[in-house]
Formats: sequence, structure tokens, C-alpha cells
Amino acid sequence: MIPGLRPLKNSGLWGILALLLGASGGVAAEMAGAAQFHKDIQPILTEYCFDCHGDGEKKGGVAFDEFTSDQSILTNRDLWWNALKYLRAGIMPPDKKPKPTDAEKQLLAKWIKTEVFGIDPANLDPGRVTVRRLNRVEYRNTIRDLMGVDYDTSVEFPADDTGYGFDDIGDVLTISPMLLEKYVAAANTIVAQAVPTVSRMVPETSIAGSHFHEAGAAPPKRERETMLSLPFYKPATLAANFPAPHDGSYELTLNLATKGEFDFDPAKCQVVFKLDGQPLLEKEFGWDNTSFPFHFDQKLTKGNHELTFELHPLKTAPGETNTLIMRLVDVGIRGPTEPQFETKPKNYTRFFPRDTVPSGASERREYAQEVLRRFATKAFRRPADDRMVSRLAALAESVYQQPGKSFEAGVAYAMQAVIASPRFLFRIEQNEPTTSQQGWAEVDEYSLASRLSYFLWSTMPDEELTRLAAHGELRKNLAAQVKRMLADGRSEAFVDNFTGQWLQARDVQGISINASAVLARDDGTEKQREEQFAAIQARQAERAKAAAAGGTNTARRVPGQRREKGTPPSFFKPRFELDGETRAAMKNETEMFFASVVKEDRPVTDLIDADYTFLNEKLAKLYGLTNLNVTGSEMRRVTLPPDCERGGVLAEGTVLTVTSNPDRTSPVKRGLFVLSNILGTPAPPPPPNIPALEASEHNFTNTPTLRATLEMHRNQPLCASCHNRMDPIGLAMENFNALGMWRDKERGQPIEPSGKLITGESFKDMRGLKHILVTNHRTDFYRCLTEKLLTYATGRGLECYDVETVDKIVRDLEQNDGKFSVLLNDIIASAPFQKQRNQANAVFADSSESSANSSDRRIVANNQSQP
Amino acid sequence: MKKSHNQNLAPLANMNRRRFLRGLGACIALPTFASLAPMRLLGAPAATKAPVRMAVLYVPNGIIPSAWWPEQAGADFALPATLQPLEKLRDKFQLIAGLQDLSANPGPDGAGDHARAGGTFLTGVRIKKTAGSDIHAGVSIDQVVAQRIGHLTRFPSLELSCDSVRKAGDCDSGYSCAYAYNLAWRSANQPLTPEPNPRLVFERLFGTGSRDERINNLKRRQQEQHSILDFVMDDADAMQKKMSGRDKQKLDQYLTSVREIEQRIERAERMPVNNPAADAPPGIPAEFGGHIQLMFDMLLLAFQTDSTRVATMLIAAEGSNRTFTEIGIAEGHHNLTHHRNDPELIGKVKQIDLWYAKHLAGFLQKMDETKDVDGNSLLHNSMIMYGSGNADGNRHTHTNLPVLLAGNGGGTLSPGRYTQTDSTPLTNLFLSMADRMGVQGLERHGDSTGRLKSV
Repeated sequence: MIPGLRPLKNSGLWGILALLLGASGGVAAEMAGAAQFHKDIQPILTEYCFDCHGDGEKKGGVAFDEFTSDQSILTNRDLWWNALKYLRAGIMPPDKKPKPTDAEKQLLAKWIKTEVFGIDPANLDPGRVTVRRLNRVEYRNTIRDLMGVDYDTSVEFPADDTGYGFDDIGDVLTISPMLLEKYVAAANTIVAQAVPTVSRMVPETSIAGSHFHEAGAAPPKRERETMLSLPFYKPATLAANFPAPHDGSYELTLNLATKGEFDFDPAKCQVVFKLDGQPLLEKEFGWDNTSFPFHFDQKLTKGNHELTFELHPLKTAPGETNTLIMRLVDVGIRGPTEPQFETKPKNYTRFFPRDTVPSGASERREYAQEVLRRFATKAFRRPADDRMVSRLAALAESVYQQPGKSFEAGVAYAMQAVIASPRFLFRIEQNEPTTSQQGWAEVDEYSLASRLSYFLWSTMPDEELTRLAAHGELRKNLAAQVKRMLADGRSEAFVDNFTGQWLQARDVQGISINASAVLARDDGTEKQREEQFAAIQARQAERAKAAAAGGTNTARRVPGQRREKGTPPSFFKPRFELDGETRAAMKNETEMFFASVVKEDRPVTDLIDADYTFLNEKLAKLYGLTNLNVTGSEMRRVTLPPDCERGGVLAEGTVLTVTSNPDRTSPVKRGLFVLSNILGTPAPPPPPNIPALEASEHNFTNTPTLRATLEMHRNQPLCASCHNRMDPIGLAMENFNALGMWRDKERGQPIEPSGKLITGESFKDMRGLKHILVTNHRTDFYRCLTEKLLTYATGRGLECYDVETVDKIVRDLEQNDGKFSVLLNDIIASAPFQKQRNQANAVFADSSESSANSSDRRIVANNQSQP
Repeated sequence: MKKSHNQNLAPLANMNRRRFLRGLGACIALPTFASLAPMRLLGAPAATKAPVRMAVLYVPNGIIPSAWWPEQAGADFALPATLQPLEKLRDKFQLIAGLQDLSANPGPDGAGDHARAGGTFLTGVRIKKTAGSDIHAGVSIDQVVAQRIGHLTRFPSLELSCDSVRKAGDCDSGYSCAYAYNLAWRSANQPLTPEPNPRLVFERLFGTGSRDERINNLKRRQQEQHSILDFVMDDADAMQKKMSGRDKQKLDQYLTSVREIEQRIERAERMPVNNPAADAPPGIPAEFGGHIQLMFDMLLLAFQTDSTRVATMLIAAEGSNRTFTEIGIAEGHHNLTHHRNDPELIGKVKQIDLWYAKHLAGFLQKMDETKDVDGNSLLHNSMIMYGSGNADGNRHTHTNLPVLLAGNGGGTLSPGRYTQTDSTPLTNLFLSMADRMGVQGLERHGDSTGRLKSV
């Protein structure tokens, strides 16, 4: 066992004693480890590795016989970690070289894990995750669940920095003054929106635009309350009903907004708004971008009333732009306004449990404490202590004691402090008290509840999790809770955020792919396309010149004119476009596909090779799957024909586009993507001064295919060592262009997808490749996916002592057909998820942080503690 | 079961942008701007003199050297192709050859020149190669300056970005994305995330709501924040004392941030807000060019109203692979810069360089047309540095960096020249700029070896 990983009590005599014991034990262990190296390990290395990594050879900067001392054999963890990865992935020793036997491999792996990494399989080191700030997705979801309002953090907060490919890494999530300023401002806005500041008010409801339906038809079933967008050019008569609870005075507010594009549009329309058939408003609207609230005071009788909204087109210019939209945002209904009908405001009981606020000063204070204790406990995801509660109540009191301020306003103010507090913004964890000398312990149940909920829901624990944690019963009921959580709609967040980052599915929404350039390349018409563009530019330049000479300003476009006359529309409108709908459909495909593996508890290898996917009409068309009878915009599960190359994430639009360049596919990027995210053995980054592929094209007399160019590229030995790993994989995917469409040709020449992996397996095409990935490389994929999911779940990069945690999960997957539930439950049961190093240990581990360049700070700390 | 994707609000944004610019125009033309001058008396070093402002504008992937550097040094240099848009301003900027950022070289860290170029540009110290567990850069020059003179304005510094879309996954060869996306570093492990949303920049500077309301809104909000900040500070302080290692570091960041906001509020109580005539701009325009322009407008407003004197702007993050369809370039910028001397590809990169330079020219022109409190132009009283941490993007070189310094620094600079230095750390220029910002006693910055004398 490595002494650095031993518990160190930082107090008095015990500390010194522990240090001495730990150190002497460590030295003994170290000697044993080195002895075993000389006895068992060195012979294996000499036999299989020294051709390139010993006896003076040092390929890739790696040699196994240049240790300066026995100790340095064991402290060079990065070397051994990489050796283990390459050995197990079959990359080393390379193809055609003699390979160690399974027994030798196991011996090597065991020695590395036990002697170098100091792993005790019976008592795995959980490591320690740095306190995690809520990222902007988690913040938004937490606010939604805590406050009942949607605060759009994707607009209001800057993007979070990422590390290890994910945006929930504690070490990387920082706070700057600007961000804190935003948090404080957000607390203000959110509380103002969510928390009522009066006990009673005139009832208010609203009817969203989406509730309006064609007069006479049944009301639509809509998931979301949203506005209704109506074109200026189409007559519409819509209606909605609402009940008036009492006879009385009501105030109706019709909220409209018009939306026009930059270019002038002469169209006009008339809107007629009626209550029970009586017109309240008749008005004309034109080209503008404005919101219009209209108020109407009405006496209503108890019972149902009908609102009618009519839109009459007045003036249109046919063939023009037709861009004007009338938005029926909503209709607000306030009333009855008579005092006797006042009710509790919306959301009142969410924050204030009692019907009335007591009047005495001490009773009020007591009530404020009650309300704020409940709120802060929820917000902090663990009980708020008495000191915190009384401070919060004092803050509330300082406000509600002021003249004209309500009790609720005071409490709301204190709630702002709660939401701006570090206890809300950070996930502060605690360990269960422990008397053992291990140096780590289980995290307490509140921490566990948060770990679960942020992992599977990207939000705070709900009442059930919190209740179980409060009673110390969460660990006992873990399996049932995980099942419940996965069945809950909030688990969509897990699918979105994990696939969004692991497979980069998020990026499909923003990536720029030039459809016409991509299609021109497939068709072999790139030159024509460029000439076309040059001609347009020349024409525009000429026109600008002429205009400048003539003194007229042509910079402003003539209203209604969309583009240069005479430009071939094909140039601007390629056959397919990666428009918003297509991008959304692609992202949905990946998410729904992953979700199906989760929900149906399928083997995770289905993620690579499956006979089904999720499509809508648009996506099916893009994929060329037109004979599957997929119509409409709704995504649905589709069984793929037996000979189909689709199925699995590597044949999905998301992965295919995000691994492409803006104008063409990139077999290198695709190969690297598979190495990094499927096989878990990323190729090292390229050395500087590497030319882009296009540069090599000039060595050809005709226009070469990507395959031909890449082959040329690979001729250089320096490039070959890594490109032989990436390129065959990427080239197998060449039948899919940068838009994710199927193609048989590139630059007019047939695509040749066959190839051979560096590990020796040959394949004919994408189907063959997928088959090899899920058979020969199944273990690699299990390991890779486990590492990714563990990183996402724990919020930290993996360290070498995590290797056994991962291996254990991989073994379980092997024995259980790779079922997703095995992976998920194992991760949740793993040491890094269940436990945490104690703080004292963390201090120890971080003590060498100032030496920023040490490759493994824990080892440095360990060395320093040697007597 | 699936959510609908966001609606594209670009047309609306365009519309608002037009309105906003109209407002901004009015602001610039405002003849009574000088009447704002007395407000600046408090804290300013000399009442009659306008303050010097400093901004660093970063463009990624280098600039094609052959079209950037003039042939001849001195004052009579012929403007090279990429700098043509700056023709009218030729006596208002200087080009400095020979500056280098050796911290961005691979050294033992191997690949990752883009992350390094961006991550070391303003710090002059090597960054630690890590995907996240132990991010370590240096303090950037803008923050060094802000820490000394930031108390003179309502905002010590402003960090802006036009690169709002983050890529999922890794950023560059094992470097955390924090390096490429943050120019400003307050400490070795605390980057200052830049704001990409023009509307939020404006509201942060001048408050929310209509022109008449916003100053009151800003004041009211600041007053309200007072006791909340006290409260959370007290709590964070108590928590931080119980923590150790990296946890403590995170709470430290929180605490220093609270302190800075408190100081800012305290300053704001002394320093009245110069409320511009312009309306708040819309959010992020769909078009990149529009985004850059709006951000430049925000920067100009911030300087004009003396809300801050120090700013950084990441026009695009290092390694950016953005396409420029508006000028017919379908390939990504980064891909193109690896051109291997292919004239066609070089030509396309030049077009991109020129496109960026046009936007720079537009900004400098506006700065030049805006009068400062002392009657000089805002540009005259500023030091606007424009450049990249890569020189030749094809080979990832970090010597002879493209660096343009616009403005007279309040009369302390000699623009209108092309000077050549011999392999001088970029940080030497930063020291010289810091001097002119009124920073005293700064002996070193990063790898500096002295001051750059001839600016």
C-alpha cells in the first residue's frame, strides 16, 4: 500500500505515529513491488517491449529500462497507466509483433494496479471531488424545482468551462465577480417572479395563445402554454372559453405582438377581439415589432364565457416576402376585483404554509424562522442550522419592519440571500462520521441524495429523496430509488446532458456545415460552385463601384427584394439544408435512441450496432430511408431493414456532422472520435506544423478522393503511427457525407469503405466495422463508456487509483450481457460515488499543489513524507 | 415527448439592432457630452486631463504574415493588403514587429498551440497542461492594471466575447477549454469569463429598463444587494474556514468576488453613472459580423462613459473553426490556416483576416469620431491593441506576432509608424502600456525583460 494514500490524522502524537507507521510500511511495500518488478515484470517487458522501448530504443519517448532507482519504477505512474491502457486495448505490442500471453498480461496488470497504483481491491480509494458549483443547466433546473419558475440561464449566464469533456467538473467550474453579480441579480429576479409579497390579492389567470382553437372545434391538447403565431395573410377565427367564478367586475388584458423582418412588408391585417360575441377591439396592424397590451373592464356573471379572436388580412402584395406574424400571446383575466373575492396569490402555499401571518412581533419572527428553515433546507439540500435560520429571519425582519413592507416581502428578501448563498450555488458534501483509520468514508445521505439527483436529473433531490436521506434510509433503498428516478421525466436531463457531451450531440445545434459545398463535393461540382460564387462577388463589386461613382446608396436593399436578381436559386438553396428542424431531429434521434437503451435495459453495445433508430419524415428523407413510411414531424421508433448501414450512434446525424469539417467529411476526426469516445484510446494530438489534407491534393493531377489524399498523408512514418489507427475507421464512415446523408460517390468517384484496424481485423464496410467494435472490441467499449459515465457522475477526471473501480464494472458488464442497468447501478454503488476522502486527507493530497507541474501531485506528497 | 427547439429570433434582433444603433449615433453626436466631465473629478488623477483607456482585442489562428507586415519600416510604410480597411486611420495606429510569446511554444507539453496561444497571451507565463483537475495560468495584464487603477471607475475591467457557442468535449489536445475561452485571468486559477451577450453588457453597465428608469433601477438594485452581500459573505467566510485544499480555493473565489462587488457598489455611490442616450441593444445577433459590431459598440460606450478603462475582447476563441459564408468561405478558419503554402487556401485566410480587419477599422473609426472630455478623440486617449497569439497559423509560431496598437494613449504614443524590434517578449509591450495606464512600480509581467521603448 502506498503511504500517501493512507489516512493521516493531522493532530498531535497520533499524526506523527501514523506517519511513521505509514511510511515504514510503505517502504517495505515498495521494496516488495520493486522486487516483483525485477523478478516477474522485467522479463515480460524485455521479451515483448524492448525492441522499441528498451536497450537504447525509446520510441514515443517511452523506455522501460531507464529507471534511476527502484523507487522511481513505482512512482512513474503515468508511464504505467499508459502502458496498461495500450496493452489492454491491443495497440501495444503492435500488429505482427509477438504478444504476451493472457497470463502474462494479467500478471502485468495486477502488478501495475497493486504495486504501482497501490490499489486494494477490497477497499478502493474513492478520491475526492472538489466542491461543485451548479453549472448553468443544473442551476436552471434547480430553480425550476425550488421556485417554480423558469430562469433561462442559457441566455443570462455565460457558458461554463469544461474539463475531461464535461461541464460538471468541480475543478473547472469557477466563480468570477461577473458571475457572482449575475447570481445576485438572478436571485432578485427569480424571487420577485416566484414569491408573492402579499397575503391576498385579486385572482388572476391567463389564457395562453396556444389555448385558442378554431371556433366550434374541440380545445387542443397542448403540452406547453405558449403564444400563438398567426400569419398576416391568412384569415383566422379562434376561440377560447373561461369560467368566471363569481358575478363581479373583471379586467381583461389582450396581449398581442407583431413580428416583422428587417425588410419592409406592406401587408396589413385587422384584428377583432370579442367577448361573448360582443366586439371589444377592432384594430389594424402593419409592419412593426411591437407588443400591444389592450385592457378592457367588464362586468361578468358567474359561469362560462367565450373569447373570440379574429384576424382579417387587409392588404397583401402577392409574391412579396410574407414575413409578418401576429402573435396572440395571451389574455389575462383579473377579477372579480371586489375585495371579498380576494384569494391567496399563486404559489403562496408553496412558500407560506399558514393561512394568515400572525401579528405579534415574536410570533412573526417565529413564523419567519419556520418558513425560512423549510426553504433554506430545501435550497441547501440539507438541513439549515439554527444560526443560519435566525440570521435569515433577522434579515427578513429588517425588511418587514419597515413601514409599508409586508411580512412576505421581508421573507422574500431573505430568500434572495439563500439563493445567492454559496450553500445553494455549491454542492457542499459531508462524510458520515467514521472512526476508521482509512482516510475516507461514505458521504452522508444528504450528499448521496444530491449526487443521485444531479447525476440522473441534473437538479436538486425531490421530497422523497430528501425524506429518505433525513431518515437515513436512502442507502437501504438505493436500487428502488434509482429505478424510480429513471422512470421520472426528469431523467431526460441525464440523457440530454450525457449524450450531449459524450457524443457531442449538443454541438449539432450550432455547428456550421455548408450544405451546398458538401453536396457539390459529393457531385464533383466544386469548381463550378466556386466559379459561380466568384461571379456573383464580381458582379456585386462592380455594382457597388458603379453605385459609388453614381453617388447612390445601394447598401440598403429595396424593400421586399430578397436577393440579387439573376442569382441561380440552387446556389442559395441546396437540395438539403441543415436547418433548425433537421438539427433538432438529429439531436432527438440520438437522445431517444440512448434513452431507449436506458429504459429498455438493453446491452450498451446496441449503442453501436442496433437494428432500429428514431426518425421523423425530414430525417428519414435526409437519410434516404424513404421506403419506411415515416411521415410527419413527430419522431418515432423505426425498425431498420436488415441490410441497412444505419443503426447505432456512429451512423446518426449528430455524430456524423459534428465530426465533419464545414465543407467536407473528416475521416481523421471521425476516426479520432471513435478512438476517444468508443474505444477509449485517443490518439495523441498531432505535432505542430501539420498540413491540412487539402494541401496534399496538389500532388495529384486529378481531384483525389479523401481516401487517396489520406493515403498520401500516411506515407510519412511520423503520421502513420497514429493515422493507421484513425483513418481506417474514419474511411469506413465515408459513405455518410458531412450532412449525415448516404452517398455512393465522392468527387464523382465510388467510395471504398473497406479497411483494416491497427489491431488486425479487416472489414468490408461500416456494418463490418460496427460488428468488430461490438465483438472483438466489446471490452474496450465497456471500459470507455464506464470511464465517461463515471467522470460525468462524479464530476472529476479519473485518476489511476480508479482503474480497479472501472475494471470491476467492466467485469460485471461482461458477465451480464452489457446491460445498461448493470453499468448504472455499478457506478452508483462504486467507491467514488458512495464515498469521499476525508478533508484531512484532502489537505494532504493537495499539499503539493504549488508545484504546478508535477505529473501526479499525490505521489509528490507521498515522496515528501518519506523519512 | 420531445421539446421544440428554440425559435430563431434573428430578424427581431436585427430590427432592434438598427434601433439601437440609431440611439448610439445620437449618443456619439451628443454635443453636450463634455458636461459629463465634472462627474469624473472624484478619484481621477488630473481633473483637466482625460483618462487613458486600454483594450486588447484578440483574433484567433494568426494572420497571414505576408499580407499583414508592410515592406518598409518607418512612417511611410505602404499599407499591406490586410490592413487596407485602416487606410483612413493610418496615422492613428502603429505596427510592431518582433514581439513574441514564447510561453505558447510546445516545450515539453507537445501539441496544443491554440490553447496555449490564447491562454498565455496576456499572462506571459506557461499554462499547465490539464484537462481540468489543476488549471494553472497566470495573472493577465489587464487584471494587473485593473487591480491598480480599477478603483477609479465603476468597473475595474470589462471582459467581452463574441464567441458564445461552446464545443462539447475536449478543446485542444488535452487542455481544458478554460484556456482558449478566457483571455483575462484574475489569478492563476480564476479566469474571468467574458460576457457574450451585448444586452447583458449594457444592462450591467447602465441598468435595466428604459433610459429614464435604468439609473434608478441600477441604484435600487445595488442598495438591495448590500445586506444580501453582507449575509452571503459572512456565510462563505465561515464555510471557507472549515475547508481545505481546492474546496477552500473555490470558496475563496466566491469571497473575493463578493468583495469586489461590494467595492464596486461603494464606488458607484460616489461616481454618478453617465447614462448614454442609446437604448439597450438586443441579445446576440445571429450574424457574426453584427455580433462583433454590437460588442464594439458596447466597448465604446463603456469607455465613453468612463465606466471602465480596461477591457479585453475575445473576438473569437483561439482555434476557432468558424466559416465565413458571407464572403463565400465554406471551410473552417482553423482548417484553412493549415494551408501549407497553398496559394488558394492562403487567399481564403487572407480574406478572413481582411474581414476581421474591416470590423476593427469600423470600431477604430467610431472611436476616432467620438469626442472625449478633453476635446480629443476617444481613440486619441486610448490604447487599443489588436492581435493574435499565433503568428503563422500554419506552423503555429509564436514569434513575430501580428500586433497592432491603435490610439495615442492620451498623447504618450507615437502612432503612424511601423517599427521592428528584435525578438522582444510581448509582455514588454504590456509593461509599457501599464505605465501609461498610471500603474506604478510594476517591474515585471510574465516573461518580460524590460519595457518596449519605442511605442
